[in-house]
Amino acid sequence: MNLSGEFIAFFVLSVMAIGGAVFMINMQRVMHMALALAFTFFSIAGIYLLLNAPFLAVIQVLIYTGAISILMLFGIMLTKHRYEEKSAVARWQGVIGFIGVACFLGVLMWTIYRTPLLSGQGNPKDFGIHQLGAAVFKEYAIPFEVASILLLVALVGAVILAKREENECS
Amino acid sequence: MSAQVALLIPLFPFLAFLLLIFGRRFWGEKAAAGIGIIATFASFAVTLPVLWGSLGKGQTITWSIPWFHLGEKAVFLSMRLEPVNVLMLVIVSGVSFLVHLYSYGYMRKDERFTVFYAYLTLFTFSMLGLVMSANLLQIYFFWELVGVCSFLLVGFWYFKPEAKEAARKAFVVTRIGDVGLFIAIALLYWHVGSFEVMDVKAAVLNGKLTPGIITLTAILIFVGAVGKSGQFPLHTWLPDAMEGPTPVSALIHAATMVAAGVYLVADLFFLFTASHQAMNVVAYVGGFTAIFAATIGVAQNDIKRVLAYSTVSQLGYMMLALGSTGYVAGMFHLMTHAFFKALLFLCAGAVIVSLHHEQDLRKMGGLWKTHRWLGYSFLIGCLAISGIPPFSGFFSKDEILESAYADGRTGLFIVGVLAAFFTAFYMFRLFFMVFAGQARGEKNREPVPRVMMVPILILAFMSIISGFFNTPGDRLAHWLTRTGTATISLEHAPVWISAVAIVVAAAGIFLAYAMYASERISPERVAKSVPWAYQVVYRKYYLDELYRAVLVWPLKGLGWILTGFDRFLIGGLVYLSAWIAQLVGRIGSRLQNGQAQTYVLISLIGFVILIVGLTAGRLFP
Amino acid sequence: MQLTSYLALSAILFSIGLYGVLTKRNAVIVLFCIELMLNAANLNFVAFSKFGLFPGLTGQVFTLFTITIAAAEAAVGIAILIALYRNVQSAEADRYDSMKG
Repeated sequence: MNLSGEFIAFFVLSVMAIGGAVFMINMQRVMHMALALAFTFFSIAGIYLLLNAPFLAVIQVLIYTGAISILMLFGIMLTKHRYEEKSAVARWQGVIGFIGVACFLGVLMWTIYRTPLLSGQGNPKDFGIHQLGAAVFKEYAIPFEVASILLLVALVGAVILAKREENECS
Repeated sequence: MSAQVALLIPLFPFLAFLLLIFGRRFWGEKAAAGIGIIATFASFAVTLPVLWGSLGKGQTITWSIPWFHLGEKAVFLSMRLEPVNVLMLVIVSGVSFLVHLYSYGYMRKDERFTVFYAYLTLFTFSMLGLVMSANLLQIYFFWELVGVCSFLLVGFWYFKPEAKEAARKAFVVTRIGDVGLFIAIALLYWHVGSFEVMDVKAAVLNGKLTPGIITLTAILIFVGAVGKSGQFPLHTWLPDAMEGPTPVSALIHAATMVAAGVYLVADLFFLFTASHQAMNVVAYVGGFTAIFAATIGVAQNDIKRVLAYSTVSQLGYMMLALGSTGYVAGMFHLMTHAFFKALLFLCAGAVIVSLHHEQDLRKMGGLWKTHRWLGYSFLIGCLAISGIPPFSGFFSKDEILESAYADGRTGLFIVGVLAAFFTAFYMFRLFFMVFAGQARGEKNREPVPRVMMVPILILAFMSIISGFFNTPGDRLAHWLTRTGTATISLEHAPVWISAVAIVVAAAGIFLAYAMYASERISPERVAKSVPWAYQVVYRKYYLDELYRAVLVWPLKGLGWILTGFDRFLIGGLVYLSAWIAQLVGRIGSRLQNGQAQTYVLISLIGFVILIVGLTAGRLFP
Repeated sequence: MQLTSYLALSAILFSIGLYGVLTKRNAVIVLFCIELMLNAANLNFVAFSKFGLFPGLTGQVFTLFTITIAAAEAAVGIAILIALYRNVQSAEADRYDSMKG
C-alpha cells in the first residue's frame, strides 16, 4: 500500500471519527457526549470530501454538526439528568450487549473482507455539484417533493407532540 | 347324586353375597339376615344328600371343566368330594348356618349390618369352594379368598385402632405362610406338570418325585398351614384377630378357616406320609404349639383371648395327630372341635352381650344364677374340650393320644397329656370366673335373645353327640379311610391311656375349682410365688415383642431408608426438573421487562445467531 | 484507497452506535447513537457511489434523502422524548417499561 495523501487523510479522519464515537460512549457528562458526537459528524464530513461529495460534506456539517447537535442540546437541557449508579440489570445488559455487538461486528468485518467486491472507480468530474443538482431536480423530482412534505409533517408532528397538553395546563 | 347338585352348595352363599353387596343400601336388617340365613341353610340342606350318598353308597362326586390353558397344558376347575371333603362341607355349611342365625342377634343395630352379612356369605362361599377343590391352583385361590374375608371381618369395626391393627397383622402374618404354600404349588407343578391333586398323588405313589422334593413341598405346604392355622411361630395373629365381632371369631377363627390348614394337610396327606421328616415336623410343631398355647391361655384375662389360645392349642393337637399318622384322629378332632369351640365362642359372645360388651374376665362372675341355660351350654363346651366322657372332646382327644402313643412318640404323648391338663385348667378357670361366685363389675345383666340361644343349644347338642360318630365301632374311621387316602391301624391302644386322660383332665378341673370357685388356693399367691414365670406366660412368651424387635423394626428401618431415598433422590430429581422449568420461565419473564433496549438486544443476538447459522457452512469450507 | 476500508469504517461506527443504543440509559444519548448509525449507513452509500460496480450519483442523492429523513426523525424523536419526560418525569430509557406484560 503506497502512502498516498488520500490514505493519510482517510486514516486521520477515520481515527478522528472512531475516536469521537468512542469518546461519546465513554463520556460521563451528556454535554461532553454531544460535543464528541459533533466531532465525529465533522470527521465524517471530511470523509465525504475524500469521496468526491463536497455538497454532501457541506450538508453534513450544516445539518448534523449544526442543526441536529443543537437540537439534541436543547433536548438535553429540557430534561433533567441524574447520574445514578448503574443497576445490576444494566451491567448485565451491558456485558451481554457488548458480546452481541462484538459478534455482530466480527461477522460484518469477516463478510466485508471475505467477499470479493467488484469495484470500479468513478470519474471525479462526474460528481460535481451541477450533476448532483440536475439529478435531484430532474430524475428525483418526485421523491424530492415527497421528502419536503415529510419534513413539513415532521415539523407539525413535532410541535404537536412537544406541546403541553390542554388538561395539563389547567 | 349328580355333580351339578353339589355345585349348588357354594353357589347359594355366592348369590347371597352378590345380592347383599349390591343391594346394601336397599336391604333392611331383617331382609339381609334372611338372605344370609336362607342361603347358608340351602347350602347345608344340599350337603345332606351329598353326605348321604357318600355314607351309604360310597359315592365320590367328581366334576371338572377346563379353566384356562397354561402353554400346552389345560388347567381345570375341578371338584372331588371324597369323604374328607364331604365331612368338611357338612361342618362348614352347618356351623356357618348357625353363625348366620346367631349374628342376627349379635350384630343387631350395627350400622353396616348388611355389609357384615355380605362378608359372612362371601366367606362361606370361599370356604366351601376351598374344601370342594381338587386342584391346587383353585385351592390357593380360595385359600387367599378366605384370608381376604378374614381380613375384612377382623377389621369390620375399622374405627377401632386395635381392630385395624389386628386385621393388618392377620393378613400379613398369614401371608408369610401363604408364600410357602405358593412355592410348594409352583414346585409341584414344575415337577408333576399338573395342578390336579389326583395327578400329584399318582406321581407321589408312583415314585416320580424324589424324596427331597416330597419333603420340601410337604414342609412348604405345612408352612402355609402353619400360617392359616395359627401354629407356632405364626400363631400371633390369631389372638389379636379376636378384635373382630364374636360370630366371626366363632366361624372363622375357631371352627372353619383356621381348620383349613389342618384340612390342607389332611387333604394332601399322601404327600406327608411319603416323607418321614415332614411328618416329624408336623408332629413336633403341632405338639409344641399345643402345650405352648395352653400355658399362655392360663394367664390371659380377656374371655375371647383365652378361647383364642385354646383354639391355637387344639389346632396344635390336630397337627400332632396328623403328624403321628393319626389321620382319622385329626379329622375327628377337627369336627368335634368345630362344634364345641363354635359353641364356646357363641356362648362367650352371649356373655359379652349380656354384660354390655365387657370382655375382661376379672369383671365377670355369678352369671350362673341369671343365665342358667347359657351356663349349661358353656359347661358342656368346657367338659367337651377338657375331654370328660361322654362329651365329644374326650373321644377325639383320646384318639389323638392313642395315635401319638401308637406311633412311638412318647415325648409327644406326654406333651399331649400335659396340654390336656392345662386345657382343662384354663377352661374351667374361665367357666368359674364367668359363672361362679358373685358378680364383679357390671351388675345389670341383659337377657340373651332367643335367636342367639337357638344356635348355642344346637351346637351344645352336637358337642355331646358328635363323639359317638366314631365310637363305638369306628364308623367315621371306616368312612374316611375307605377311598384309601390314608391307612390306619384300627387296633386300640391300651385302656390306660383313656384313664390317664380322664384323670389329668379331672385334676385340671379340680385345680381350677380350688383356685377360682372355692378359693382355697389364692391365684395371686400362686402368681407371686413364681413371678417371672407368670410374667413370661402373661406376656405370651414375649413373642410379639421378639417379632417386633427382630422383624418389624429392621423392616421399618429399611422402609425409612427407602422413603428417604425416594424423597430425597427421586424427589430431588423431580424437583430439579421442575426447578429447571421454573428457571427457564423466570428468565423468559425477566426478558419481558418492557424495556425496548432489552428487546433490541435480544433481536440483535437472534440476528447474529441467524447470520452465523446461515454462513457457518462457509466458515469451515 | 480500497472500498473495504470505507466499509470497515462504517461497520465500526455502526457497531459503536448499536452498542450505545443497547446500553445507554439516557434516552437523549440513545437518539445520538441512532444518528451515528444513520451516518454509518450514509457513509456506505457515498462509498459505493464512488467505488461501486457502477459508479454514479444515485448514492449521493440517496444520502441526501437520508439526511433529510434523519433531520425529521431527530425532530420527532426529541418531541416524543419531551412528551415522555413530562409523563414519566425521567429521561432514562429503563424507566420506560410500560410495555411490560
